[in-house]
Amino acid sequence: MGNFVEYVKMALKNIKANKGRSFLTMLGIIIGISSVIMVMAVGDGTANAMNAEVEDLGSGQISVYCSEGASNAGEWITPEDIMAIKENVVGVDGATPSDGASGSTITGKGEFTLTLGAGTEDLQKSMNFNMKRGSYFTAADVEEGNRVCVISDSDAKRLFGSDDVVGMDIDVEINGISGNYRIVGVTQQKENTSFVSYTYEGMPVSLEVPYTSFSYFGWESDSFYSALVFANNEVSGEEVVRNIIHTLESRHQCAGEDYYQVQSFQDMLTEMNDILGIVTAFISCVAAISLIVGGIGVMNIMLVSVTERTREIGIRKSLGAKTSSILLQFLAEAAILTILGGIIGIILGLLGALGACSLMSASMGSAIQPGIKASTILGATLFSCGIGVFFGIYPARKAAKLSPIEALRRD
Amino acid sequence: MIEQKIDRKAGKDLEKLISVRDMCKIYNPGENEVRALDHVDLEMEKGEFVAIIGHSGSGKSTLMNMLGCLDVPTSGSYFLNGKDVSVMKDNQLSEIRNQEIGFIFQGFNLISNLTALENVELPLIYRGIGRAKRHKLAKEALIRVGLEKRMEHKPSEMSGGQQQRVAIARAIAAQPPVILADEPTGNLDSASTREIMDILKGLHKAGRSIILITHDNEIAEQAKRVVRILDGKIVEDYYNKEEQQEA
Repeated sequence: MGNFVEYVKMALKNIKANKGRSFLTMLGIIIGISSVIMVMAVGDGTANAMNAEVEDLGSGQISVYCSEGASNAGEWITPEDIMAIKENVVGVDGATPSDGASGSTITGKGEFTLTLGAGTEDLQKSMNFNMKRGSYFTAADVEEGNRVCVISDSDAKRLFGSDDVVGMDIDVEINGISGNYRIVGVTQQKENTSFVSYTYEGMPVSLEVPYTSFSYFGWESDSFYSALVFANNEVSGEEVVRNIIHTLESRHQCAGEDYYQVQSFQDMLTEMNDILGIVTAFISCVAAISLIVGGIGVMNIMLVSVTERTREIGIRKSLGAKTSSILLQFLAEAAILTILGGIIGIILGLLGALGACSLMSASMGSAIQPGIKASTILGATLFSCGIGVFFGIYPARKAAKLSPIEALRRD
Repeated sequence: MIEQKIDRKAGKDLEKLISVRDMCKIYNPGENEVRALDHVDLEMEKGEFVAIIGHSGSGKSTLMNMLGCLDVPTSGSYFLNGKDVSVMKDNQLSEIRNQEIGFIFQGFNLISNLTALENVELPLIYRGIGRAKRHKLAKEALIRVGLEKRMEHKPSEMSGGQQQRVAIARAIAAQPPVILADEPTGNLDSASTREIMDILKGLHKAGRSIILITHDNEIAEQAKRVVRILDGKIVEDYYNKEEQQEA
């Protein structure tokens, strides 16, 4: 197969001799490969950033809620259930009811909608925030039903134009009842949490408050639809979930009724990744179609080339080139064109992914690194190779099968 | 009796450089068939310089295709250098063309994006000769036709006569037993024609076997032996007097 090198050299020579056309031939492949690479790198990068962020803040977070059956049966989650879970289930760091209300407030800056997230002091374990000023509300606040609240620095700025607001009161109206909440703490968004808590103008201002404070507004605070449980990593998530369900079912004597259901953060993460994966796969498919179109472009140009070079093929055959020699020469040409196109495409795709990611990072305020996997690059290269050979076969065979007399007769 | 005759003939076929027996080539077999070659017999010894002469349509191009192993006859046999070519397949024919025949065409048939040297190297590449030896043989051939200063030139940078000399170099580089020249001077002016004919005669003197296909009597007269073909049949086969004297 020492001659194979010669055929590759011939192919290279021919590509060089027709630079402009060779480039145009490659263009389809370049666009196809670069878009596949770019989409996959950006998709992977986004997934990675999301995973890192979510793992950072919520990996042990388990959401427990009541099914329809439970509400029909009048079974809810009680503060005692929460205590039982906190004390009895191994691997649980904290638990809180998860309650909420919406209301409104009027400040010097105007009227705002409020979202009040309510729970015990354990609610702070779910925070995507660090304390910037003051401190979180305490167990005593929960015990006494104090109307105290924690607010983010950005929301504080929206309400008051400053985040130095610890000790100030917010006048809140819920259910037509007015009451004031004293601000005890101001939080600051953690870095790299843009996916989970992205705030923008017009979103309700959110406050975190003790669940017991709602009794002021006429709310019973002894049964809840859902609760949050915070697991540490000492025990496997599955076991924690099983024990939580077991605890609840034995306390409410409803084993096997499926009254209580659980969604862990991990589940949500998996779902999110699945969706992202499907979107990436879909876009990649669209990009892959352009690869096939590119391949057909290569085939067309090779066919034109065979027609144009009929005489050359005749000369080569008269000088002793075998069918296989011509076949290899043309196949090598198609393969080299697509591989070259593939390499250029990979480089452009990576550059494009870097550009897109830095653009996204800048606009979302979080760092997304393009997910560049060796397997993607290898796959793209092999794919473009395969396309070159596949779409090169037909023109190459056509060239190789020309009869030398016919070929020489033509001009 | 008949068998003996065939055996004797076969033995003879193996000795000759070229031995064509009862060769027919029929295009479009059926009602509109064209008999391009009609029972042709031809022998040629090693070292001969034969001109095959005929008008267009006489069958000389078909005969040249057969002799050049570019095509196979409909019937009859063709032994080239002891090998029966008439039964060969495409790839074997390629090999025979590569090893036994050096072609010189009317239209030069050089590959335009290759230099003179690369053009001359082509048949050597297909023979599988390594790079160094290939270069050496190709250079020697180009020097032999007086183009030592044009090796790196492309065909478009050379005159017709020079291009044809490159083609001759390509034909002789691999030292094939037969040089097959198809109207080699057809596209050339008289000065270049003389140049090319001188080179061919020189090659003949050096012991090469040359078949020259032409329609031009003047050219044919410069060969040692003339075979005239008409309507697919050989009608004349004689040795040139002057050439004999010269030889």
